[in-house]
Amino acid sequence: MMSEPRIHPLALTAVDKLQRGRINRREFLRYTTLLGVSVGTAYALAGCAPAAAPASVGAPAAAGGITRGGTLRKGMLIQQIDHPARLSWVEGSNAIRLVNEYLTETGPDNITRPSLLESWEASDDVKTWTLKLRQGIKFNNGDDLTADDVLYSFSQWLDPEVGSSMLGLLSYLDGMNSVEKVDDYTIRLNLASANIGVPEHLFHYPAAILHRDFQGDWVKQPIGTGAFTLVEYLEGERASFKARTDYWQMGEDGSPLPYLDEIVFVSVDKDASVAAIQGGQLDTLFKPRPSDFLALKDNPDLQIQGVATANCFVVRMRVDQEPWNDNRVRTALKMCQDRQKILDLSYNGEGVLSLDAHFSPVHPAYAERPIPAYDPEGALALLEEYAAEKGIQLPLQVTLSTKNDLSEPEIAQTLRESAAAGGFDITLDITEPNGYWDRWTEVPLGITIWAHRSLDTMVPPLAYIADADGNPVPWNETRWVDAEFSEKLRQAELTLDIEARREIIGELEDIMQERGPIGNSYWTNEWEIIRKEFQNVIAHPANFDFYYSVWKQQ
Amino acid sequence: MNSTTLSPPTQPPGLLRKLANILSILLGSRTAVTGLAVVLFWLGIGLLSLVWTPHPPNAQAFDANLPPTSTNWMGTDHLGRDIWSRVMAGTQVVLLKTRLSTDPQVVVPGGVALWGVIGAVVVGGLLGVNAGYRGGRVDQAIMQLLDALIAFPVIVLYLVIVTALGSGDVVVVLAITITGAPGVARLVRGLTLDIKTREYIRAAETRGESANYIMLREILPNARGPILVDAMLRVGYAIFAIGTLGFLGLGLPPPDPDWGSMVNDARKYIYANPIAILWPALAIATLVIGVNLFADGLREELTRYQQ
Repeated sequence: MMSEPRIHPLALTAVDKLQRGRINRREFLRYTTLLGVSVGTAYALAGCAPAAAPASVGAPAAAGGITRGGTLRKGMLIQQIDHPARLSWVEGSNAIRLVNEYLTETGPDNITRPSLLESWEASDDVKTWTLKLRQGIKFNNGDDLTADDVLYSFSQWLDPEVGSSMLGLLSYLDGMNSVEKVDDYTIRLNLASANIGVPEHLFHYPAAILHRDFQGDWVKQPIGTGAFTLVEYLEGERASFKARTDYWQMGEDGSPLPYLDEIVFVSVDKDASVAAIQGGQLDTLFKPRPSDFLALKDNPDLQIQGVATANCFVVRMRVDQEPWNDNRVRTALKMCQDRQKILDLSYNGEGVLSLDAHFSPVHPAYAERPIPAYDPEGALALLEEYAAEKGIQLPLQVTLSTKNDLSEPEIAQTLRESAAAGGFDITLDITEPNGYWDRWTEVPLGITIWAHRSLDTMVPPLAYIADADGNPVPWNETRWVDAEFSEKLRQAELTLDIEARREIIGELEDIMQERGPIGNSYWTNEWEIIRKEFQNVIAHPANFDFYYSVWKQQ
Repeated sequence: MNSTTLSPPTQPPGLLRKLANILSILLGSRTAVTGLAVVLFWLGIGLLSLVWTPHPPNAQAFDANLPPTSTNWMGTDHLGRDIWSRVMAGTQVVLLKTRLSTDPQVVVPGGVALWGVIGAVVVGGLLGVNAGYRGGRVDQAIMQLLDALIAFPVIVLYLVIVTALGSGDVVVVLAITITGAPGVARLVRGLTLDIKTREYIRAAETRGESANYIMLREILPNARGPILVDAMLRVGYAIFAIGTLGFLGLGLPPPDPDWGSMVNDARKYIYANPIAILWPALAIATLVIGVNLFADGLREELTRYQQ
């Protein structure tokens, strides 16, 4: 007789909140699945038909008969790769994701599902996590996946010598002392502090599960449990992968996935990719820019899927430098953002307007607040007060630095025009991307792109707090450290109840809006643009590929 | 008899006479006249833009990527700015003004492209004539130095310059000078090697003229035809260089328009608004063709005149 799966007490509390309308269905699903409730059970608890619940990220119900075979060709830069734990670009992770897999998968619906894990369980205090591996999964060298491989992967992530960004993300672990092998298919994590985000963290892109004998160079040793095997990886040229015949996930036709025979990445830039798609030489491209979206959106051979994200371009001000050390000036610049115009001109209107805070509507505990209006008169009044006090003349001359990349030049130029009426005279200093990345933490006023993170409390600890010694953390480009903000952020990290957490996040949003160091006009949409014959394609906010269940209509 | 009546002077003063001569030479060549007309057209547009454009060139007053209409004759760009107004204002950078400083604003007449080409011709010309005329180790040293410079990809040179000097009009002038001078020097050296075998050079040497006199007064004036044509070609390269430099952040900071940057901006949206790239590209092409026709015609007429 099978035992009933245990439902975490916090998940049961969430059922009550859902029924009373205190949280919405999306938040409920995300929250309860993080606590180890299966997606089907979560849907059932939410009062939805469990049959409708997708069991995995990459396998939505297919319409019509699935056909096997075919090649998918994608334009994407082929970068140097060595150790997957050291990945710092999504492009590299998309290549590795074909060969190696993750313990969990967070889909575009922000719901985290088991992948290599069969299930997980959190203790009542959310400090002990028990991870149960699926049995019968084989690496492409024939070895079984066991807890030893997972422990080895953790040891790589937590080894400072390796230099993985997982080290910071898993800061609640006391090194390998916190990672315990229970049996061949069970691992226990003993956290120093409660954290509900563990399953999401296990899908951070450097967290690919490695074979226990991995030596540190993935190109030489591409051993993984994934649906494809590496054929060739030529940095700056191309990479190709062929389908495995003994992959563990089954397709809807009863045979092992993947449906496609081959995946080929061609290392060309975006302009060339767009031309190649139009010419039929490529099927899709990595992370289309707004101009690529415009170029391809009316092409009848292509399908486009959009997804809301937490990607943003922040106009960030260094609060340790004049004039940005004065909150009136910071507020004035924020008021000078004509957000809708900036969104329209720099991103074709394809996004969601934002507060001047680093919390996105896609984040589970986001608290709704009115979007501030464009108010140049109010900004001018603040600047006049500041100028009178300082004995300077308006317009206030400032230099805005950024890079000539995705949408930064358009944001900078639109802000410059919008801010003129508010008393700013902005000189633009726009360099090629590396020219900005060399100094992104140093310039007094800049526009920096921040990538999507699925959890609301992932970016602020990177960008808006101080370290234990009171110095701004390395990525705190604004040097803004606010005692109340830091305290409430800590509270938010430790608060597991959704409602209570949303209340704190709302307070954090208010603090950033009132005295924070950034202007943030909008959150971008991302697009997956691909030929119509490819089915089961997923647009993911972090631009991750899930090609194991994609099939090509013949 | 009107013996007291003074007859008007039959000859104009020296400067005017020279101008009249040049004009008569110019008007003698249909090619030169056509080229001059094109250059004067753009010069006129540039001068007009100093006082009037249909819309403020940097104002984001319209919808983005509009096709040509009666309001926006060339349509609008990706930021909703009037392209014709920006093409007009872009002429200033090429032909009319160079900003030595933005705070306080110090502007000198003559466009960035022109000053860059003048710099390249002066530096390259002096190096080339010295290398060609003096020969030996001087030649070897100069040419190897310049060959080393040519061996660098231009983009690398631009990056070195931006790292060392920052950005702005003066840096663009310097960048065009530094990247253009080796080519000019090679040309001038070749011409000098030919000219220095001529009898009038022997005569000057026999007269005991100094090397500097021979190079500056005997050789360079006789090499001016090809140098002039090369310089005119370089104006075109310089206009493109401004676009490249702008792309690298070394050039002219946005939003003020220059044609090269306009091409670069429109390139991003070429599939969505292909016509936007046409106008600045046409402006560059016509001006380059204009200066080349002008240079060709002038050279032909000068050669015939000298014969």
